Amino acid sequence: MSELLQYIVTGLTTGSIYAIVALGFVTIYSVTKVINLAQGEFVMLGGMLMYTLSAAGLPYWIAFFLTIPLVMVFGMLLERIVIRPAKGADALSLIILTIGASIFIRGIASMIWGKTPKKVEPFTSNDPIQFAGASVTPQSLWVMLIMLVVVLGLYFLVEKTVIGKGFQACSANPLAARLLGISPARMSLLSFGLSAAIGALAGMAIAPILYPSFDVGLMLGVKGFSAAIFGGLGSSPGAVIGGLTIGLVESLGAGLIDSGLKDAIAFGVVLLILLIRPSGILGEKSVGKGGL
Amino acid sequence: MKKLDKRWYGYLGFLVLVLVLPLILTQSYHISILTFAGIYTILTVGLGLLMGYAGQISLGQAAFFGIGAYTSAVLTTQYDLSPWIALIFSLLIPAVLAYIMGHTMSRLSGYYLAMATLAFGIIVHAVLVEWKSVTKGASGLYGIPKLELFGFAFKPGISYYYLTWFFALLVILIALNIIHSRVGRALRSIHGSEIASNAMGVDTGKYKMQVFILSAVFAGLAGFLFTHMNYSINPGSFGLDASILFVTMVVLGGMTSVWGAVLGTILVQLIKLFVQTLGEHFTFITSEFEYVIFGAILMGVVIFMPRGLFPTLVSAWQKRKSDQSTVQENQAA
Repeated sequence: MSELLQYIVTGLTTGSIYAIVALGFVTIYSVTKVINLAQGEFVMLGGMLMYTLSAAGLPYWIAFFLTIPLVMVFGMLLERIVIRPAKGADALSLIILTIGASIFIRGIASMIWGKTPKKVEPFTSNDPIQFAGASVTPQSLWVMLIMLVVVLGLYFLVEKTVIGKGFQACSANPLAARLLGISPARMSLLSFGLSAAIGALAGMAIAPILYPSFDVGLMLGVKGFSAAIFGGLGSSPGAVIGGLTIGLVESLGAGLIDSGLKDAIAFGVVLLILLIRPSGILGEKSVGKGGL
Repeated sequence: MKKLDKRWYGYLGFLVLVLVLPLILTQSYHISILTFAGIYTILTVGLGLLMGYAGQISLGQAAFFGIGAYTSAVLTTQYDLSPWIALIFSLLIPAVLAYIMGHTMSRLSGYYLAMATLAFGIIVHAVLVEWKSVTKGASGLYGIPKLELFGFAFKPGISYYYLTWFFALLVILIALNIIHSRVGRALRSIHGSEIASNAMGVDTGKYKMQVFILSAVFAGLAGFLFTHMNYSINPGSFGLDASILFVTMVVLGGMTSVWGAVLGTILVQLIKLFVQTLGEHFTFITSEFEYVIFGAILMGVVIFMPRGLFPTLVSAWQKRKSDQSTVQENQAA
C-alpha cells in the first residue's frame, strides 16, 4: 500500500512537470496554431541557466528570477527569427521547422555546457517528509505548487486581462482582431515569451530532482507534447489532465510492470486514447480560424 | 513519349554514376559512407513518397527500419535461418505492422498524426531495448552472418556497395513508376487537398494506406541490408535521432521528388563526413556539431526553400533554359 502511494507521489511530481510543459504548448498553439516542438529546449535552458547563474556566484533566488526573463527573451527571439519568416506554412512544415530549431539549440547547448548533467540545489532543505508510509521530498511539493501557480496565473491572464482578451481575439479571428487594433504579430510574440517563461519555470522546478543536461529537453518536450495532444490541443484543463495522467501511468507502469518499459507504457496509453478519440479526451477546442 | 525518354536519361545517368563512383573514391572509408547512403536512400525514397506525395508525416520511420533489421538478425543468429528467407520476414513484418498502424492512424492528421508516429517510434525502440530474451537488450545482437549468393560472400566493401545500390536503384525505379501512374496522380491530389480529391472520387484512405505500407517495406529492406553489413547491431541505431535524421534527408532534398530524397540522403552523408573531418582538426567541433548543422538545414529549408533542394534546382535550371531560348528567338526575329 505504501509502495503504491509512493508511485502515485512520484507520478504526480513528474506529471506536474509534463502538465507545465503541455501548458507551454497550449499557450502558443491557442494564439498562433503553431506547435512549437522546441518547447522542451526552454525547459532545458531554464535548468541550465539557473545552474550557470548560481555557479557564477549569484544568490539562489536572484538566479531563479533572472533566468525567467532571459529564457523569455530567447523565446521571443525564436519567434522573430525562426517562426515568423515561415508565416503561412502548413502543419508538416511547422513540425519540421520547430524540430530543426530544437536540435539546433540542443547541439549548441552541448557545445557550451558539455554532456555531463549539472547539479542544482533544491529550493528549500530536502529532508523527506513521511506521509502515510510514503516519503515526499519538499521539492516534489514545490513542483506541484508551481504547477498550480502556472495554471492559476494563466487562467487569470487569459480571462481577466487585456492581453488575455487579445490572445483570445487573435485565436478566434486575427483579421477582426487587427481591425480592432490588436496586433496578431505582437500577440504571437507575447505568447512565445509567455510560453518560454512557463518552460523555464518547469526547468528550474525539476532541476533539483532530474539534474539538467543538454538533452533533457528532448524527452520532456515529447512528453509535454503528448500531454497536450492527450487532452486535446488548445485546451488548458486538457493539458493538465493529460500531464498528470501520463505522469501517473508512467510511474505506476515503472513500479508495477517494468521500469524499462515506462516510456513504452505511457506512449501506448497515448496511442490508445488517440485511437478512441482522434482529437484528445477533451477534444480540440475549435477556436476559429486563428493562426499566423 | 518524349517526356518519358527524358526521365530514363536521368535514371541511366545516375546508374552510371553509381557504377563509376567506387572507381574514383577508392578509400574503404568512403565506400562504406556511400554504402550507408544507399541503405538510407532505400528508406528515404519511401519516406519521401509518404511525406511529399501522401502528405503524411512520420516521425517514427526508424521503427520500421529497426524492425526490418532485428527480424533478420534474430532469425539468422538464433534460428539459423538463411538470410534470404529472413529477408521475406524483414519485408513482411513491417508491412503487417504498418497495416495495423495505418488503421489506427487513418483518422488522424496533422499534429495528432505526428504524435502517433512519434509514440510508435519510441515504443518500438523501448521494446528493442527491453525484450532481452529476443533482442539481447541494449548491448545488441552479435555474430550476424554475411549475405551469400551462389557461394559468393558480400563483405563490407565494393561488393556490398554494389549489392546495396542494386536494391536502391530498384527502389528508385519502383518509386518513379508509382508517381507517374494513376496512383501517383491520386497521391499528389491528396497532398494538394484531401477533401477535393475525395470529392473527385479518389479513395484517399486506400492510397494513403498503400503508401504507408510501401514506405514500411522499403524501411524493412533498408534494415535488412543494414544488419548484414554489420557484425552486430544494437537499438541505438533505431531511435528518435535516426527518425529525425531521415526526415532531414527528405526535407533537404525535396519531398515532392524521388530524386530529392536521393540527393538529400547523399548530401547528409557528405555533411557527416565533412563534420568528422573538421572534428579531427578543431577540438571544439564535437559529434554534436552535426546536429547544429542539421538543425540549421531544417530551419533554412523550410524558411528559404520550402520545396527542398532538388525541385528548386530543377526549376531554376528550366527557367534559365527558357530564358535562353527566348533570347535566341528574339535574336532570330
